[in-house]
Amino acid sequence: MNATVDDLVLGLAGSGGDGVVSAGESLLGALSAEGYHALMTKSFGPQIRGGESSCRVRVSTRRVLNPGGELDVAFALNWEDFFRFGAELPLSVDTVLIHEEQAGPPPDTLRQRGTVPTQIVSVPLVAITKQAAGTDKAKTSVVLGLISGWFGIPAESLQRGLRKKFASKGAEVLAANDRALAAGIAYAEAHPLERPRTLERTAAAPGSKMLCDGNDMCAAGALFSGVQFFGGYPITPSTEIMQTLSKEIWKYGGAVLQAEDEIAGIGAALGASFAGRKAMTATSGPGMALKTEILGLASIAELPLVVVNVQRGGPSTGIPTKPEQADLFQAAFSAHGDVLRPILAPTCVADTFGITVEAFNVAERYQTPVIVLSDQEIAQRKETFDPIDTSRLVVEERLCPVGSELEPYLRFRRTATGISPLSHPGLAGGAYQGAGIEHNEKGEPSSSGVVHAQMNAKRFDKLAPLLERRDLFEITGDLDAPLALVSWGSSAGVAREVLALARGRGLSVKLLVPYLVYPVAERVYAEFFASVRAGLVLELSHQGQLFRILRMYTDVPRGVRSLAQSGANPFRPAEVLERLLAVANGSGS
Amino acid sequence: MATTTTIMPGGRPALTPKDFNSGLKPIWCPGCGDFGVLQGLYRALTAIGREPHEIAFISGIGCSSRIPGYTTVYGFNSVHGRALPIAQGVKLANPDLLVIVAGGDGDGFSIGGGHVAHAVRRNADITYIVMDNQVYGLTKGQLSPTSPKGLRTITSPLGSLEDPVNPLLYVLAYGAGFVAQSTPADMPGMTSILEEAIRYPGFAFVNIQSPCVTFGQEDQQLRAHKTRMKTLASLGHDPSSMSQALERARDYGTELYTGVFYRNPEPPLSHDRLIRLRQEELAKQARPRSQILDAYLQRGGAQ
Repeated sequence: MNATVDDLVLGLAGSGGDGVVSAGESLLGALSAEGYHALMTKSFGPQIRGGESSCRVRVSTRRVLNPGGELDVAFALNWEDFFRFGAELPLSVDTVLIHEEQAGPPPDTLRQRGTVPTQIVSVPLVAITKQAAGTDKAKTSVVLGLISGWFGIPAESLQRGLRKKFASKGAEVLAANDRALAAGIAYAEAHPLERPRTLERTAAAPGSKMLCDGNDMCAAGALFSGVQFFGGYPITPSTEIMQTLSKEIWKYGGAVLQAEDEIAGIGAALGASFAGRKAMTATSGPGMALKTEILGLASIAELPLVVVNVQRGGPSTGIPTKPEQADLFQAAFSAHGDVLRPILAPTCVADTFGITVEAFNVAERYQTPVIVLSDQEIAQRKETFDPIDTSRLVVEERLCPVGSELEPYLRFRRTATGISPLSHPGLAGGAYQGAGIEHNEKGEPSSSGVVHAQMNAKRFDKLAPLLERRDLFEITGDLDAPLALVSWGSSAGVAREVLALARGRGLSVKLLVPYLVYPVAERVYAEFFASVRAGLVLELSHQGQLFRILRMYTDVPRGVRSLAQSGANPFRPAEVLERLLAVANGSGS
Repeated sequence: MATTTTIMPGGRPALTPKDFNSGLKPIWCPGCGDFGVLQGLYRALTAIGREPHEIAFISGIGCSSRIPGYTTVYGFNSVHGRALPIAQGVKLANPDLLVIVAGGDGDGFSIGGGHVAHAVRRNADITYIVMDNQVYGLTKGQLSPTSPKGLRTITSPLGSLEDPVNPLLYVLAYGAGFVAQSTPADMPGMTSILEEAIRYPGFAFVNIQSPCVTFGQEDQQLRAHKTRMKTLASLGHDPSSMSQALERARDYGTELYTGVFYRNPEPPLSHDRLIRLRQEELAKQARPRSQILDAYLQRGGAQ
């Protein structure tokens, strides 16, 4: 019996030269061209070149919310590399496990890991490739052919993608890959699976879809907002933001400075903001630690600045190539003095664009540093999504002093909103002294406790309107449900799927996803939790940092528990659903 | 005394040193060398003729870093050691500004020492004034990176065991196009050096031996400077010669030379100029805001 599925999770692993990531990219390109929704994550060993590499591709006829749980299809080019990825490539009894014949039958490791798939298929991949293409270099194309033949991925789109990819390599290479793809398809047809599984045709007409990663969308959002300066230092997994801007920003009259260190990066960005331009920096946890002093300067000098932290496993070097959501405490609390910095968090590739635009708007409107907390998964996974309607987005500019506001100009004038018109060098009549030292309304240094208290209040009060922003929170599900999920960042994608699964089981449940993670909008949570008796706060950190911050600022119902695990251990939606059912029944720990 | 207003070619009244004086009373000790630097800077800026609002004056932390507050230009008294990166951001964001950086020897050659080489190699068009007093004055008399070996301070009660940094040699070796030294003991000389540094189209460094009257050494006071200082011109120094500059810079700490050690006779384009050329070249490739995302569109079907 041939089962048709509308959602397929594939995982491929091999050594560096096996081209598994390249195969994943070809697959993703073909699927998106056909109108499917698809998402791909990559994972590598620590080696700079070579070493083990893997990718997961999830494809669906519906919006793909996360990389998925257990694999439907696993492709092991060799066992050693495959098992190195452990929980990142989880198997179930239903997984179709395909392996290179030369690798031999599955080693004992498979049994030791617990779950042994019932369908294990051995393929003479190298032999097929050599026979079809005359070389084993076209192995990736055979893998694609096999996947196409067995799981119903349209071959034409795959072929188009491969031809485009190898267009510059000459007719011989093109022909070899064509033959390799065809040989893969032919092999699959000649050796049908015991329990075939075919991807449902998508109803969506092949149309234009976006296909990119979160770092792309962060850079694009910055350009859309009119960023004129980027200062930063390379650090995984944020560097692609600087790479993209290094190509693009000049066209818009801006500049990128690859600084000598993280401190100089944020320093130069703050200087550009002082000079009146929209400015940003991007980094990861260790870089954030170095930038902390100048973040304090940005707060007291009341200068707009967007600071992106693409979180990775920490502390210290930690696991630079894998995601974690463990820098929330750092973002919220790593400050000297009383400081409030808005923290915004995207939850997928697509919304990274809008969140970046929002970050610039908040920074410019409130004259404050804003931290964007992305994470490695969102930043580096590739995802398809429908084109974003940018005509609805507003781009804000800072309040500039005019007319009588310059006679005389009081840079830090205490206004009703707490926001003082901000001048910049070049503006006649607007000269002032920016400073890290406490200052009076004019900007003159002051060590008066009265002035300090007033200015602290000003710097906090001006941000109060943020807490009234309902559009920075996504609330879905049954609004008066007794059961709740709260999640942020990349974990929110899992929570959204769990919400649908739970409601499919007839549960009354709802989900809150904050895009504004800090300051904590106490009223939003109070309203949300009013009907709630039990639930989970889902996040990728050992401590459950959002859970703890919520407990600090809000009355979290007793039945709401933290479901937190260290980074590099992806959540499986089915497993989270079980935990949700358990807390719903009062048996959750 | 009757005042007359000179009209500049642009039709606006000529600036006077008073136009640059904010009137704020400095926190410096009476007799501090920094008063002289401030006066010299007022005069140099007057001679340069840029309006105060066209000038950005960035500093770090320390006694000397308070200096922007005593001027009427846009000032930014930032954090310890980071004035150079901030200033480069200012200059790249708006190259039309005249950008000056000031700080002490601790700011420039201890906590912020890592930034100097990079500001120099980028040839940022900024003037970096270090007020070098060989001691930490603001925190009341600790060792500084330019303190001489053997110096007894409250953090080196038994005498320093470390050789000092040689700021002149460092900055010359980094490749700066303009390196000079002066002292407020020679006001006319210092003023003209400041003016020349500001006019230099690229990274310009002026080390000003600016005495600390409270914690500084006896032989580093203005009175001692007056007898110790020697103009480089009097030695027949050729400021276009890097080898002469390096040779004389080695005497830092023993001799007090004033004047221009090195001035690149053919200044290369500064960082902001190069960036502006790149921006001009690529401007036509800019997409309207509504099309920025098009780069990530995958055309569906047969492409």
